[in-house]
Amino acid sequence: MWNIGTRWLRGRTGGAAGFAASSQEPIGLPLALYAYLHPGLWQAFFEGLGCPVVLSGSTDAAMLERVGLVSETEHCLPAKLLDAHMDALIGRVGRVFVPRILSLKRGYIACPKFGALPDAARARFGDRLAVLSVELDENREPLRTSLVRFARALGASGPAARTASERALAAWADACADDEKETAGAGRRYLLAGHPYLVNEPWFSEPVVRGLTRLGARVERMRFDRAPAPDGPLRWDTSAIMRDTLADLDARRYAGVIQLSSFGCGCDSIAERHFREAARERGLPYMLLRLDEHAGEAGMRTRLEAFVDTIGSRLP
Amino acid sequence: MTALAMQPWGNYAVALAASVECLRVSPWTRRATTPETLRLGVEASPESACLPFKACTGHFIKAAMEGVEYGVMVNSRGTCRLRYYREAHQKILDERGWKLRIFGLGYDGIKPPLIRHFDPDPIPFLQCCARAQQKTLAVDALEREVWRVRAIEANRGDATRAMEACLADLDRARTVREIRACARTFAPRFAAVPTDSRRVPLRVGLVGEATLLRDRFLNHNLEEQLGGLGVEVSNFFLLGDEMRNIFRIGFFSRNSRWTLRRIARPYLDALVGGHALESVAHTLRCAREGFDGIVHVAPIGCMPEVSVRPILQRIARDTGMPTLELSFDEHTSSVGLTTRLEAFTDVLRQRRERRA
Ligand code: SF4
Repeated sequence: MWNIGTRWLRGRTGGAAGFAASSQEPIGLPLALYAYLHPGLWQAFFEGLGCPVVLSGSTDAAMLERVGLVSETEHCLPAKLLDAHMDALIGRVGRVFVPRILSLKRGYIACPKFGALPDAARARFGDRLAVLSVELDENREPLRTSLVRFARALGASGPAARTASERALAAWADACADDEKETAGAGRRYLLAGHPYLVNEPWFSEPVVRGLTRLGARVERMRFDRAPAPDGPLRWDTSAIMRDTLADLDARRYAGVIQLSSFGCGCDSIAERHFREAARERGLPYMLLRLDEHAGEAGMRTRLEAFVDTIGSRLP
Repeated sequence: MTALAMQPWGNYAVALAASVECLRVSPWTRRATTPETLRLGVEASPESACLPFKACTGHFIKAAMEGVEYGVMVNSRGTCRLRYYREAHQKILDERGWKLRIFGLGYDGIKPPLIRHFDPDPIPFLQCCARAQQKTLAVDALEREVWRVRAIEANRGDATRAMEACLADLDRARTVREIRACARTFAPRFAAVPTDSRRVPLRVGLVGEATLLRDRFLNHNLEEQLGGLGVEVSNFFLLGDEMRNIFRIGFFSRNSRWTLRRIARPYLDALVGGHALESVAHTLRCAREGFDGIVHVAPIGCMPEVSVRPILQRIARDTGMPTLELSFDEHTSSVGLTTRLEAFTDVLRQRRERRA
């Protein structure tokens, strides 16, 4: 209800604000948070426009150390990591891209943290990096339209904008298809659940996958290329997809659910109950691993072992 | 008579009580969370929930213990966690066997469910709305008086006592005319409070999350503490303004979303949710109007407020107006808070002297 009066306004001013530089100047893409919502898409998009892309690099121990130096302490870990990745781009590029995400699925809304991302990035890094941004709001217009609009605003001609957008969408679809190949195959497996920037961020997910593989278990990462069911209990897009995925799991194909959640995640603090219940209704064992900057692999391995053990002993 | 529990909304409790008369229920409310309700709430809530959630859970449990059958709370349609809170509180109450039914104040159709349930007659209902609105405006005015006088009162506590007396009268006022007459007495009453005219109070804006701005227990009496330190506060949560925004009256008024959005735009070009936009806009406006500083209050982990903190820091850097960030949970210590407030006001004073 709040938004009615301002929606028309957003239609005018929202969108690709803050671009000016020529499209040939390299653009930095921080590989964190929003990058995992549309894997492959942004790189292909900018390259399609003839703009060289500089990636921030992967998350590692040094990056986590940076988190403590540059980010707001009360943020969830993925949001902090975004700051750290942007910080790592300083000196390497003159501008970065940070979208404003209001909704990823029609009828749903994004976690409120995504709404202020470009503004927060400008506030923190504006002296050293120009921040390019586009507003993504599926409730207002589909992603394809936003991309074309953004490309046009960056100075591309109509056909060039459409080509770049199509290429970007295709690259995204490819990245998703790769994930699918990875998880194909028979046998019962564990589902690694959680927001995309946890489940697909190697720094967080690899230790779990490694641990499980070592125990002889198979792992599948949760996927996000589905629409949430209408009338679910949750209105946040990724949270709703997570819950629906859990609610649809086939207990014959899955042995259990391992949920990654970030310390300080506001959405999960509400949604966790729904995740747990959904898994329970499908008769699937559920374990929550809460991640923070200091999470050690050793402690996690013990928990995984215990979890797999109890389930292993219950398998027929 | 059936009782209806309402969230603690500071001095607005008087106005809230007036708003439900026509539903033929007796209001059950408190002006602030109490240690007991907070304890109950912390016990019953998930650990990762935010402080307002815990306080509100406790409040409703306490109401249920005292035999209250219904409750009503704000449930926004916004982006933050608040939209799930009614359902989550209800679930906690149900699981514990309490028979209290919570209504949300939001709309799901033409009428709010609360109104549908109690189905008041339209004429008394409208009269009652008018009374509640007058009382809300009166409390707004009262708050402004207290902030001003508290910073310069000669005897500590006089302003608060005057406020209590006014509130008591306001509570008794029955008709719109009586309420207006009562509100007119506020200014003279505060003018009678002995003040120390040599003192030049610091001006500090309080921005942030609404529950914490309003609940004196949860914010450790922030307004009074600052007042005692010689600070004239402006607490930017005023229910009258909030109502106007909800019902979208006064598009161009000083505190309408539209105006605030325009002010905030150079730093924040989205609504974000909660009162994050307000926090940014009011901070900017305070800087422009020559305030000495800003105190930003938020529950620990509050998604909208935390996401705009870098922006507030930036504004502080750009304008040179110091900002104090306070985060609260059930473990926040009063002593630590007092020390920080003292240090902050010292900084503000020195800054003022330097500039003079
Ligand atoms: S959903 Fe949770 S983890 Fe993701 S950005 Fe929001 S608060 Fe952070």
